Amino acid sequence: MDERELFEKYRETGDIAIRNEIVEKYLYVASLLAKKFAGRGVEYDDLYQVAALALIKGVDRYDPSKGVRFTTFITPTITGEIKNYFRDRSRVIHLPRRVNELRSSIRRAAEELAVERGHDPSAKEIAERLGVTEEEVVRCAEAGGVVSLDHAISDEESTTFHEVLAAEDDGGIERLENREALLSAMKGLSESERALLRYRFGEELSQAETARRMHVSQMYVSRLERKLLARLRESLGEWGS
Amino acid sequence: MKELLRIGLKLEDELFTTVRLATGGVCSLAGLGLDDSEDCKVCVTEGLLLLMHAGYASAEIAVSERDGGLFFSLTGSEEGCAASSDADEISEALLAALAEDALLTRSDGRISCVTFSFGK
Repeated sequence: MDERELFEKYRETGDIAIRNEIVEKYLYVASLLAKKFAGRGVEYDDLYQVAALALIKGVDRYDPSKGVRFTTFITPTITGEIKNYFRDRSRVIHLPRRVNELRSSIRRAAEELAVERGHDPSAKEIAERLGVTEEEVVRCAEAGGVVSLDHAISDEESTTFHEVLAAEDDGGIERLENREALLSAMKGLSESERALLRYRFGEELSQAETARRMHVSQMYVSRLERKLLARLRESLGEWGS
Repeated sequence: MKELLRIGLKLEDELFTTVRLATGGVCSLAGLGLDDSEDCKVCVTEGLLLLMHAGYASAEIAVSERDGGLFFSLTGSEEGCAASSDADEISEALLAALAEDALLTRSDGRISCVTFSFGK
């Protein structure tokens, strides 16, 4: 069976065996895309897993009658999921070696600066904050390597990153739980921003589903969400200070 | 439109890391965020792969400031061996997903120029 026949038969029958056949046929796309995004601080295997799951979901959503080839359809879907994963993993801590330590500092500084200044900071701004050169920041973006939150913070100590970070996170959660602060922060949001918050955090829909409901692209949802969260964090920070 | 960088290179995998580093540098100069810079590097690599598979042995990359962002133009310049790959379709979709205004120009039925923008 060719690509179109396979998908049509799967849509007709819902036969999982056919779905599996399709997924196996296109797993190379997941592998290829995972390799293209490797080296940003997340292991290839993790990215491959994310990409493969996005592929399975994509098989269910793909409609061959729309005339777009499956690889063309699935590439942005997988790319979107991988980028979501990077964002979700932004709190992981990097190994305390020179480059990886700097990568970790860069991420932290980038998050802080984004909240302070309301935009995605440049390498120059990050370099100034960390007291390193722009070149170091750019070079470190090429390096990889992450470690689990359960790893010890150094070779000499058994304390884990998770234990060290817990107290700081608890403070954030407490603030977030304060209804008054959140409501205050939400004042002035546009209708689409409120819709995004409702879909993503009220109904806990995926970015893809949110994009479909809002009639926009997943990339748009991703960008809007990032900006919105930065603004809310800033507002909550001001409220708490 | 102010040109910031122009590089001519042989289309060989070994040189792509150098191009990625140069791309990261120019993104930094232009004040792009880290995420955009990383996406930009992916697009430059994909564009060069498309030109390589279209049969070019070398390419020229020109980066300019335009509308407050960066405009990339990748042009094939020296004849080599065409070796179209199944992955080309994915490269095209990836460019469309990551970059603004990704445009593939074809001449004689093959891709000869790839342009896209970031940070507008």
